[in-house]
Amino acid sequence: MMIGRLDLYVRQDNRLHRLDPRAKLAAVAGFLAGAMFAPVRPPWALLGLVALLGAATVVARVPLRIMARRLVAVGIVVGFPLALSRLGGEMTRLAGESLAAKSLLVAASFLVLAATSKPWELLEAVSRAPLLAGFAALAQFILRGVDILAAEVTRSNLAAALRAPRASMRVRLGGLIAVSISLLGRAAARSERQGAAMALRGFDGHFPPAPARALPVYDLLWGAAFGLASLTIGVAARWI
Amino acid sequence: MAVSAPGSDALRRARELSLAGLLGALGLLLPIGLHALGWGGKILLPMHLPLVVAAFVVGPATAASLGLIVPLLSAALTGMPPIAPPIALLMSLELAAKSGVISLLYRKLRLPMWLALPAGLVADWAVLALAAIATAGFFHISASPLKYVWAAVLLSWPGTMLQLVAAPLGVAAIERRLPRLAMERNPGRAPGDAARAAGEDREG
Repeated sequence: MMIGRLDLYVRQDNRLHRLDPRAKLAAVAGFLAGAMFAPVRPPWALLGLVALLGAATVVARVPLRIMARRLVAVGIVVGFPLALSRLGGEMTRLAGESLAAKSLLVAASFLVLAATSKPWELLEAVSRAPLLAGFAALAQFILRGVDILAAEVTRSNLAAALRAPRASMRVRLGGLIAVSISLLGRAAARSERQGAAMALRGFDGHFPPAPARALPVYDLLWGAAFGLASLTIGVAARWI
Repeated sequence: MAVSAPGSDALRRARELSLAGLLGALGLLLPIGLHALGWGGKILLPMHLPLVVAAFVVGPATAASLGLIVPLLSAALTGMPPIAPPIALLMSLELAAKSGVISLLYRKLRLPMWLALPAGLVADWAVLALAAIATAGFFHISASPLKYVWAAVLLSWPGTMLQLVAAPLGVAAIERRLPRLAMERNPGRAPGDAARAAGEDREG
């Protein structure tokens, strides 16, 4: 499966990995709200949130070097506006610091979520929300499409390597354009067959909601506790 | 179990979703491929191209949903574009506006492609301008949002040109395989005419 090679999931077996994805989404939502409320100065609220997230990372046994490597790209993205904000007044500097600190925190929380949950599990959790079911269904179509297209590209690459292993760059570029156009045509033809198969199986244009599944109390408590703790830190720091 | 007759709404929706899924998948894979080759995403806008093609072949609601989902899905799967700072969200809004406007103009209002595509680009830049106004407010800076949009347009001109050139080719490739798309757009036209207009050249 191509998705297995693309995604950020880190294979482990621990409490956080086994936690229901809905509980993890609730925890991340609380963390996100807490980070938004938390002021940058004084920094104790942000440090509290870092400690909470650090504890979750340790429980999840996600190697720190993986987290650090994945955060580098975000660091580069926020580094530029942070450096630029140093040239402005006090308010601009504060906004630069706030953007950098909160972006890193929120990105890290999403990375922990992605490292402990498979994309299919998260989509299934999202599909239970009434307004998001259609989006989740479309996202599932996209994920299946990734596997189909990746297989097509692999076959095309293999064919090109077998037929013209020493072709010039001009020939390769021409081949790439021809393959891309052909790929679009084949994708279109495939979608016709797939659509007809769906209609024959009884698809009526609507996606039924995912079957109800109770959220275990233990998972609910952990998710809610993490989210509420994050929110309390952020709100308390804002008021104090 | 009721079986939908060919041409029914359910069949059309199923085909549209399948096609949207495959083009959305291309929107996920193309940036990964180009990043692997070391070509910049902000310059070539690889995620935009398949979604612009999709906007010409699916309905406005599906096109806008696709634009909304693909950047967020890419962020969740690969970490890029980043969720925070909210670049993935901004790209979502940009692509939803662009795809929705193109599809609305081309498939619903039946305007020509040469009008729908630039209108989609303008919708994209309008979302960028709104984001620039919001960002300027957050940073307490007094920069004109037009300057930001102009800088973004200048930086991404190769990607914009690529869309203007490659999107019509991609749409033609799909319409050659699926002449019904041209027929749906021009219902008065006979099937044979639509197939010829779409340049149908199926092998065999």
